[in-house]
Amino acid sequence: MKYFKGIGTAAVLSAGFLAAGADRAAAQTANPDGPIIVVSGPLSWPFFAAVKQGFDDGAETFGIDFQYVAVTDTANMTSDYPRLLQQAISRDPKMLLVGEFFPDGMDPLIREATDAGIPVLIHNSGQTLWEENGSIGFVGEEPFQMGYRAGEIQAAEGVTLGLCFNQVPGNPTVEARCDGYIAAMEEAGADTIYETIGTGDATNPQALAQAMSGILQANPGIDGIFTLNAVPAMSALQAVSNVGREGEVMVGTADLSNEVLEAIQDGRLAFAMDQQPYLQGFMSMQIASHFLEYGLHPIGHVKTGPLVIDSSNVERTLEVNNEHTGIRGAF
Amino acid sequence: MRKLIRRPEIGAVAAFLVTYLFFVVMTSGAGFVSADGTAGWLNLAAELGIVAVPVGLLMISGEFDLSIGSTVGMASMILALGTRYFGLPDWSMILLALVAGGGVGLANGLAVVRTGLPSFIVTLAANFIVIGGTMGVSRLIANVTSSSVAVSDPVKWLFAARWDQANIAILWWAAVALVGWWVLSKSPFGSWIYATGGNATAARGAGVPVDRVKIRLFISTGVAAAFVGVIQAVQWNSGNATYGMGYVFQAPIVVVIGGVLLTGGYGTVVGVVFGTALFGVISTGIFYTGWNTDWVQLFLGALLGVAVFANTQIRRLALQGR
Repeated sequence: MKYFKGIGTAAVLSAGFLAAGADRAAAQTANPDGPIIVVSGPLSWPFFAAVKQGFDDGAETFGIDFQYVAVTDTANMTSDYPRLLQQAISRDPKMLLVGEFFPDGMDPLIREATDAGIPVLIHNSGQTLWEENGSIGFVGEEPFQMGYRAGEIQAAEGVTLGLCFNQVPGNPTVEARCDGYIAAMEEAGADTIYETIGTGDATNPQALAQAMSGILQANPGIDGIFTLNAVPAMSALQAVSNVGREGEVMVGTADLSNEVLEAIQDGRLAFAMDQQPYLQGFMSMQIASHFLEYGLHPIGHVKTGPLVIDSSNVERTLEVNNEHTGIRGAF
Repeated sequence: MRKLIRRPEIGAVAAFLVTYLFFVVMTSGAGFVSADGTAGWLNLAAELGIVAVPVGLLMISGEFDLSIGSTVGMASMILALGTRYFGLPDWSMILLALVAGGGVGLANGLAVVRTGLPSFIVTLAANFIVIGGTMGVSRLIANVTSSSVAVSDPVKWLFAARWDQANIAILWWAAVALVGWWVLSKSPFGSWIYATGGNATAARGAGVPVDRVKIRLFISTGVAAAFVGVIQAVQWNSGNATYGMGYVFQAPIVVVIGGVLLTGGYGTVVGVVFGTALFGVISTGIFYTGWNTDWVQLFLGALLGVAVFANTQIRRLALQGR
């Protein structure tokens, strides 16, 4: 029996391969006894720890079992994620909940899965792709829009030369945040600088701080910085203080941590863009449950961000972060 | 002159001087050579250097340690969760972090010595085990993989004191380098290290306790990595399971640039120190130039290639002279 099932899957997959590009193979149905597999981000990032918390709580609320699949080594994510997704598909799942972080490698696989009749729900990344690849929906935020909003805020506050600092070059999702920031700044007539750092130093706060000190020294006109994660945000504040320009450079960031929130509270950090990662996990689970049980799902994508956290709402966010560890970001 | 050229560190010293002058010229006016700019690259080099010195000694004895990366993160999380989540005294958590780092080293050492497997693989496995374990346990305890740190002022001073922009880590680096230099060049243990890496069988025959030498060196890399984890956690007021992951290969890179032979038996602490300083200058200097920073890793790769080639040549010269 097991063998037959395996052969069946292989046949379906190869049919998907052959049919891709020409006409789609007739819709098959997914294995109702298969697992629900979540392919999402690395849990070492506080952000995805919150996404996972949402998945866990959603699964408990709706009585669902699921497996969370992610990389632990973040050095080769562009090639690791398509591989993880391929493995998830070959396990004959009942449903796939996927963060489409690397579309070039992942989109053909998602098409393969949807052609084989596996329901796919996209979360976090892939807002522009889900309607084309046969997925049932999307929960998350367009990274370009997040960056765009950050650029709008800084331009409105009078920033004339903005730095977008990318600690993970080569990740298209993260790069899109900088693209959005740069687009908004340029539309407002401000100049921008885009800088990156080697991936080995992405989690070394000292290397990040020294790099940004150097950039600030080489470009004395910089009066705004946008960082893409909580760790480089704290390094940016250190760099601004290193070069003695506290209060002259407006620093904003994507994503939260306790340090980030405290820095917003005492005015050193202007804002943090929150995607509400917990909601991405929880609402994905809710949609999965309703889809599998009743065939219901929202029409159009579900937006979870960006929520701008600044001095106006930081108190409440900190409160929640301390009371409910892991829901809003880091402890 | 011939004697000078045969010193293992000469390549690293020359490369450091050339690279430093290169960046002095290229960054003129941007403050790279100012006191603050110098403190900047020294801060970066110091944290890496505290790990790189014991890693250098270990590599001279013929072994690798790739688990240092996740040991840094583990130590930072032990301190963070212990002080912030459990409210335990900071000194005891620092001690626990260092002991845990030493424990990872001990486990690596025993595994390598007992099984005879290549340490490259053993410690690479340990690297994944430690980061996975750190994340799993942190999530079980507090449902996080990064956390704030709560430490007293004396601890802050000892691990994160600043004079203008120079961190106390630079002094720690100097201390570790001095101890490493003394051990390798002045103590009998140092000649055991060279003998172990040069030819372990011959060393055993001559009565060198090869296994004990290796295990002690593995423990020292683990403790040093944990020490850097404590420094980073106190300095940035936050522990993170992924701190230090860049060191996994950065430490062996600076050791090799510093003139240590990848196969062991050859190298000096002075070379490793200059290799680390060179790494600090490149990693920081390029940002002062205002160039596109996508190039920084190309620079490092090219430098590593040149360094390995130069070191082989220097060693050949040295052996010819005998």
